[in-house]
Amino acid sequence: MTSVTASRPSRATRDSRGTRGSRDARDPRAVRGRSRSRLSFALYLAGGTLASLLFLLPLAWAVARSFMPDSLVTQAPAARDFGHLTTANYTGLIQANDILRYALNSFLVACGTALLTAVIATMAGYGFARFRFPGSGVVFALILVTMMIPFQALLTPLFLEMHSLGLTNNLAGLALFYTTFNLPFGVFVMRNTFMQIPWELSEAAAVDGASPSRTLISVLRPLVVPGIATTVLYAFLFSWTEFVGALTFLTSNNLYTLPLALLNLEYGSVGQVNFGYLEAGAVIAMIPCVVLYLGLQRFYIRGLVAGVVKG
Amino acid sequence: MLLVAPAFAMVAVFVLFPLGFAVYISLTNWPLIGPYHFVGGQNYSLLVHDPEFIHSVLFTLLYTAIVTGPIFVIGYAMAMLVRSNRFGSTFFRTAFFLPFIIGLATESFMALLELQPDSGAADYVLAKVGLAHANTAWTVDYGLALTAICVIVVWFASGLTMMLLMAGMQGIPIELYEAADADGATWWQKESRITLPLLRRNIALALVISVIGSFLAFNQFYILTEGGPGTSTQPVVMWIYEEAFVQYHLGYATSGAIALVVVIAIISAAQLYLLRDDRADRVSR
Repeated sequence: MTSVTASRPSRATRDSRGTRGSRDARDPRAVRGRSRSRLSFALYLAGGTLASLLFLLPLAWAVARSFMPDSLVTQAPAARDFGHLTTANYTGLIQANDILRYALNSFLVACGTALLTAVIATMAGYGFARFRFPGSGVVFALILVTMMIPFQALLTPLFLEMHSLGLTNNLAGLALFYTTFNLPFGVFVMRNTFMQIPWELSEAAAVDGASPSRTLISVLRPLVVPGIATTVLYAFLFSWTEFVGALTFLTSNNLYTLPLALLNLEYGSVGQVNFGYLEAGAVIAMIPCVVLYLGLQRFYIRGLVAGVVKG
Repeated sequence: MLLVAPAFAMVAVFVLFPLGFAVYISLTNWPLIGPYHFVGGQNYSLLVHDPEFIHSVLFTLLYTAIVTGPIFVIGYAMAMLVRSNRFGSTFFRTAFFLPFIIGLATESFMALLELQPDSGAADYVLAKVGLAHANTAWTVDYGLALTAICVIVVWFASGLTMMLLMAGMQGIPIELYEAADADGATWWQKESRITLPLLRRNIALALVISVIGSFLAFNQFYILTEGGPGTSTQPVVMWIYEEAFVQYHLGYATSGAIALVVVIAIISAAQLYLLRDDRADRVSR
C-alpha cells in the first residue's frame, strides 16, 4: 500500500514547512499548492473552532446555569431562561450553606500544600543537584518511585497512621498528605532546574565581590523561580479540589473542602437537591483553576515537558 | 544530605511506611475499632472468590477499554491540529486543555444536573436530534450511566494526551520534514514514517498515564452514580473505599488495595523498561 502512494507524483503538503525543491512559481502544481494551503488553513481554523466549542460550551453553559433560579434550572433548558438571570444561587449559597468557609478551607489546604511542597522540593532539588553523598542515588530513586504508588491504594494504612498521629480530620494533616504525593514531581522539577544552572555564574559573582545572599537574590533567583512556579502550580491545582483523600481524612463538617461541601449539597440535603446551589458551588470551585492556568500557563507546560523527557 | 532529609522523611512516613503497613494489615482481619487477629492469606483467598470485587475489577477493565481508545485518538488528532504555532493555536490548546485543569470532581458536579431527566442539557440536546427521550435518567441505569461517564471522561482527559503528544511532535527536528518534502513525500508518508515512529516514547507515556488514570477512577462514579444501580458501576478504588470506610473491613479492603498497587507497579515498570530500551544515553538517569 505504501509503495502505491510512493509512486504517485508529489503532492502539496498541509503546512508550508520549508520549500519544495523542484518547484518554481510558474509550476501549475505550485499554484494549486498555495490555494491548497489556504484551504488547509481554513479547515484548521474551522476544525479548531468547532472542537473548542465542544470543550468550552459545556463550561460556559454551567456558568450560565449557575445564574438561573433553581425553579428554572430544574426545567428543560429554554431561551427564556436567559431573561431571568440572578445571583440568588451565590448569595443563597454564601448565607445558607456557608460556602465561603469551605472555599477558605480548600484555599488554606491548597496554599499550605503549595508552600510546603515548594520549600521541601527546592531544598531537596538543590541537594540532589549540587552534592553527591553516599546513597544519594538510592534516595532519589526511592522518592521518584513513589510517583508510581497510587495514594488511592494506601488509604487504609494512611488513615490508621494519620489517625494515631492526630492528623485525620485536620486541615494541616490533609496538607501534609497532599504535599507528600506532590513531592516526587516537585523534587524532580527542582533538581532539573538546579542542574541547568551554570554554577560558574555564582562563582563569577563571588569573585566580583557579591555576598552569598546577593548572589542568591540577583543571580540565582531568576533561574530558579520558574521551577518553583511550576512546582507551586501543580501542587495547588492538585489539592484545590482533590476528592477521595479529603473524603477519607475529613469527618467534621466545618473542615470540609469544596468538593465535600458540594457532595453535601448533593446527598446531605433532605429531599430535593438544590441544583442551582450545586451549579454555583461548582463554578466557585472552577474559577481559581481557570485563573491560575490562564495566568501561569507556560509554567504548567514546562512541568509537562519535564515529565515527558523523563518518562 | 540535610537538604534532602525533609523530602525523604515525608516520603518515608507517608508512602513507604504505609506501603509496608498495608501488606501487614492485609494479612489481618483489622476492624476500625477493637482487636485484630493475624489471618494469613485468608483475605486474598476470599478476594479472588468475591463476586463484588471481581465485578469491580471487570468493570474497571471494561471502562478502561472503552475510554482509552477515544482519549488517544482524539488527543492525537488535536495534537496534530495545534502542534505548529500559527494563528489561533494557543487559544485552541487552552480550550482543549481547560477541562483537565478544572478537574473531574468539579465537572462531575456540573454534569449531575445536565444528566437529570427532563431538566438536563444532555436530554434536551439529544431529544432535539432524536437520539434520546427528553426524560432519560442517565445516572440510574447501568448502560446509560457508563455511556455518559465515558463521554465526560473522554472530554476531560483527551486534552492531557494532546499536550503530551504535542510536546513530542514539537521536539521532532524540522529538517526531517524538509528532507522528506525535497524527496516529494506525501503528507501521509511524513506522518506515518517520521512523526509516528519518533513519537513512540510519547505515545507510550500518554497511554500509560491514561490507563493508570482509568484504573484509579473514583470521583466521577462516586459523584454521579455512587456505584449504582446496586454496585454495578463500582470501580476498584470505590470498592476499596466502601469496604474500608463504610463496611469497616480494613484488612480485607487493604488486600484489594495491595492487588491494585501490584498491577499499577507492573504497568509502570513495563513503561520504564520500554522507554529505557530505545534511549541510548543512559547517563541522563
